[in-house]
Amino acid sequence: MPSVWPENPRLIGTRITRLDGLVKATGKAKYPSDMHPEGMLFGAMLYSPHAHAKIKSIDLAPAERMPGVKAVMIVGAIKPGSTLRFQGDDIAAVAAETEEQAWDAVLAIKVEYEVLPHVVTEAQAVAPGAASVFKGTGIVNNQKKARSQTNGDPEKALGAPGVVSIEANYMAPVITHVCLEPHGLTVRFVGEDKIEAWASTQAVGVTAGDLAGAFGIPTTNVTVHTEVMGGGFGSKFGADIWGITAAHLSKKAGGRPVKMFLDRAHEHLGAGNRPSAIAHVKLGASKDGKLVSLIAETSGTGGAGSGSNFPLPYVYAVPNSSRTHTDIFVNGGNARAMRAPGHPQGCIVMEAAMDDLADKLGIDPLEFRLKNLKERDMVEDGFSKPTVDRTPMYLDEVAMGADLIGWKAKWKPRGKNGDGPIRRGLGMALHQWGGGGPATNQVACTINPDGSVEMKSATQDIGTGARTIFAIIAAEVLGLNVTDITSNIGNSTFPPGQPSGGSTTTPAMSPPAFNAAILARDELFVKVAPGLNAKPEDLTLADGQVCVKGEPKLPWKDACRKLGQQSIQVTGKSSPGLASQHGGVGGCQFAEVSVDIETGVVRVKKIVAIQDTGLIIDKMTWETQVYGGVIGGLNYGLFEERVMDPTVGIMLNPDMELYKLAGASDIPEIVVRAYETPAMKARGVIGVGEPPTVSTAAAIGNAVSNAIGVRVPHWPMSPKNVLDALASKEGKA
Amino acid sequence: MKAFEYVSTASADIAVKALGGVDGAILAGGTDLLSRMKDYVTTPKRVVDFNPQSVVQKETSPGGVPTWTILAGTTLADLLASKALREELPALWQAASEVGTPQIKNMATIAGNLLQRPRCWYYRSGFGLLSVKDGKNLLREGDNRYASIFHTDGDALFVAPSSLAVPLIALGASATILGPKGERTVMVSSLYQIPKRDSDRELTIGADEVLTKITLPAPQGKNATYEARQKQSHDWPLVLASVSLRFDGASVSQASIVIGGVAPIPYRAVEAEKAMFGKPVTLETAEAVAANAINGVKPLSGNVYKVALTKTVVKRALLAAVGNRYWEEV
Repeated sequence: MPSVWPENPRLIGTRITRLDGLVKATGKAKYPSDMHPEGMLFGAMLYSPHAHAKIKSIDLAPAERMPGVKAVMIVGAIKPGSTLRFQGDDIAAVAAETEEQAWDAVLAIKVEYEVLPHVVTEAQAVAPGAASVFKGTGIVNNQKKARSQTNGDPEKALGAPGVVSIEANYMAPVITHVCLEPHGLTVRFVGEDKIEAWASTQAVGVTAGDLAGAFGIPTTNVTVHTEVMGGGFGSKFGADIWGITAAHLSKKAGGRPVKMFLDRAHEHLGAGNRPSAIAHVKLGASKDGKLVSLIAETSGTGGAGSGSNFPLPYVYAVPNSSRTHTDIFVNGGNARAMRAPGHPQGCIVMEAAMDDLADKLGIDPLEFRLKNLKERDMVEDGFSKPTVDRTPMYLDEVAMGADLIGWKAKWKPRGKNGDGPIRRGLGMALHQWGGGGPATNQVACTINPDGSVEMKSATQDIGTGARTIFAIIAAEVLGLNVTDITSNIGNSTFPPGQPSGGSTTTPAMSPPAFNAAILARDELFVKVAPGLNAKPEDLTLADGQVCVKGEPKLPWKDACRKLGQQSIQVTGKSSPGLASQHGGVGGCQFAEVSVDIETGVVRVKKIVAIQDTGLIIDKMTWETQVYGGVIGGLNYGLFEERVMDPTVGIMLNPDMELYKLAGASDIPEIVVRAYETPAMKARGVIGVGEPPTVSTAAAIGNAVSNAIGVRVPHWPMSPKNVLDALASKEGKA
Repeated sequence: MKAFEYVSTASADIAVKALGGVDGAILAGGTDLLSRMKDYVTTPKRVVDFNPQSVVQKETSPGGVPTWTILAGTTLADLLASKALREELPALWQAASEVGTPQIKNMATIAGNLLQRPRCWYYRSGFGLLSVKDGKNLLREGDNRYASIFHTDGDALFVAPSSLAVPLIALGASATILGPKGERTVMVSSLYQIPKRDSDRELTIGADEVLTKITLPAPQGKNATYEARQKQSHDWPLVLASVSLRFDGASVSQASIVIGGVAPIPYRAVEAEKAMFGKPVTLETAEAVAANAINGVKPLSGNVYKVALTKTVVKRALLAAVGNRYWEEV
């Protein structure tokens, strides 16, 4: 019989503090970059200082002669004649006794470059006669057209009598992940064919596989540890060239461990980014506010090879649409998945156009949005059946959010927000995401004769609270406290666990955790029932007691003692109904801002985030993920931007100073609410890591436009972009 | 970071001797020098860790104007802790309060703030002070959103980075400098110059000299600073202005108006100062005076927005001095 979540849970869905929160906050937790195994050497990478260059020669000898240097190597397939396609492209690596020696040695490596012409901005890349990043099928002038999509007859619909339309350009820049802990690992080559690594990764299993594959050794010979990790956001799915290089250096250095973590600049340059979005949009609706047509020509850059596409149309029902997207290639680091890949860009473009059109129509943008939801928007339940309609969910969520931001009382049309220097504005945006998890993972549950309980799987905690989630589920089933459970994760040799991407970790790991706890419990019942003169099916667990027909009979520890020498050790798998496999969530966010129109400075006063994600295991870790998502979105909305220099082809702000990120005093009041009805709970577990970061930047941009009466077409909402938008409005007037 | 010799002293005399004849650098709070060394932008042979006292005091001399003395090693945190300074030198207090983070304020010193090197991203990327490469000025051709809008005919397009220089110049402060030939005192404004060649420095202080203290006469009148920046937390000003005003009745009899973030040196808005003369500070006069502050402005391709920002910042600094904070939400 398939298991079902308890109808009246004691712990599931309550607010439970992260079990490892204190050790993380106090610095007691040892991150992979804190590891310092005995005999450890420091690794450092030499990377391209040029945006585009050919290597004429490499001489490692000067570095090899430097003090403290134990190993030097050229990385990957680099050799004389190789082309480097971006500043930050990897060339060689060093391992030395101290970090300073390693960097000095990196500088001593002699590389002769033939500097090639480069393109680092979208405008540079598409200019006539621009240098080519690389040759490939279908690439013309550094551009590759994605397949265009057309529904209905958008041109005709837009030109129909009575249709009101806008035509606008919107732009969002390339941003980078800025993981607080950089990419990398500390690795030890053991003997001829074994590897042990402490990696900052969101996929211990994938990282182990990468290392095994690189050396042609069995994955069983590789152990990857990730007890805790300092942020990934989609950019840390494997060993990467840096990890594999570090393992080679360790082998060369006779098995001495090598620590290889990127410096902050390299992190910005070569460890992934979110592609830019450039959109030319025409959006039209009937006078009463029903969308009829969207025509969008979009482009973006994901660097020297990655794509940049994003979903559009987004969320709303548009009967006629045409969309063409062009990938632009530049001599910049390649994009990697970044928290809800594509969606924040799609949301900015769609929601900005929605707001601009609502303004032109003279309709409240909230009403305009509700009018244009899909008639039915079916997404999956916990049995992979499309029985859940997202449209009424959006209606409820928007009502909740509007109430919390005070839309009815505070919202005023554009240009009607006062005449002083400080203007207040409200904005909103809707978003969607998948967030289910595959049914392919396992969790081991052990009950020991001393009463201790261990939950174990090769997943990791990217911020989802995986340890706490396991403990809550086991404690719920076993009638124990959360702190009675030991959760062990972040070890590639444990039973197969979910890589943390696509908001899949909690939905993928909760079902096998639940089933493992049930299997262990049932085995315990079989063992202790005879001693209680009861049948196993008469036993239950509650408040640390084994109960017979509901009556407490035996304390937990005494029951476990009856196991004698033998622990119970079982492995749980997933089963239908406990979690959604493909998800399909919605949500909305509202922003209240004040804009100083004399300085262009934007202050976000309040964000309201409403989110549905099925059954919530821990309300507190759920909320903290939404806070994190909102803060990430706020950074995208207000601050972040990769700035490239066209002449020399370098990134000008590869730091955390001029690459701007919110500090504590930039964080507004954030109100988070779960949309968690019985129908939502019945969908089972769905992940929440990504959806709450999607619509924040769009909502902030809309709030700024509402405040100042003019669209700021360029994200982020910096003083420059705001003042430039105000000036262009005056220029037109 | 390149290996270096290290000297630590609280004595200015020893610091000057230690700087003699080598490629040396003074380490004050370290918030600037260490990051330049880590990025290989600055590679001194000898680092002289000069840690003099942190002292702020006001001395009254009989019959004369009282004088404020701020020793070189005074941290921004200690400056901010002085209640008397906050009351009498709000322009300086305000500028100091907006610098960096609490951690930086605890480390950074007044001398270090005045003598820090430009934050220009080309300079920090190793392209030199003027960032001219193959005859092309990278800052002029490239992303110059944070660059100068005044004195832009030359090649020095970076902005002077010191926030404290702006109010100190407005307040008529002097700097005392000790060198191998003894002590000299100059106006704080004379610490800065516009470099013409890449080998020039933007600071006039010699490589073997040490700034020992700042002195300024107690202001007779009102003073204030207004700063505009993108973030509320740790960020650099986009533009800031400090004013020091003397009054004859309700009218301004003498005005000092200095703007930061707009030129390779702290920029003195002389025409605005003249325009302020003989008028009371009102919303209307401040607006008109601020318009004079941008006479001769020549923005670059990407920083036209700074012109409007400069006007606003000057206007608000003037009004802040007389207690009109019209831009604050009620």
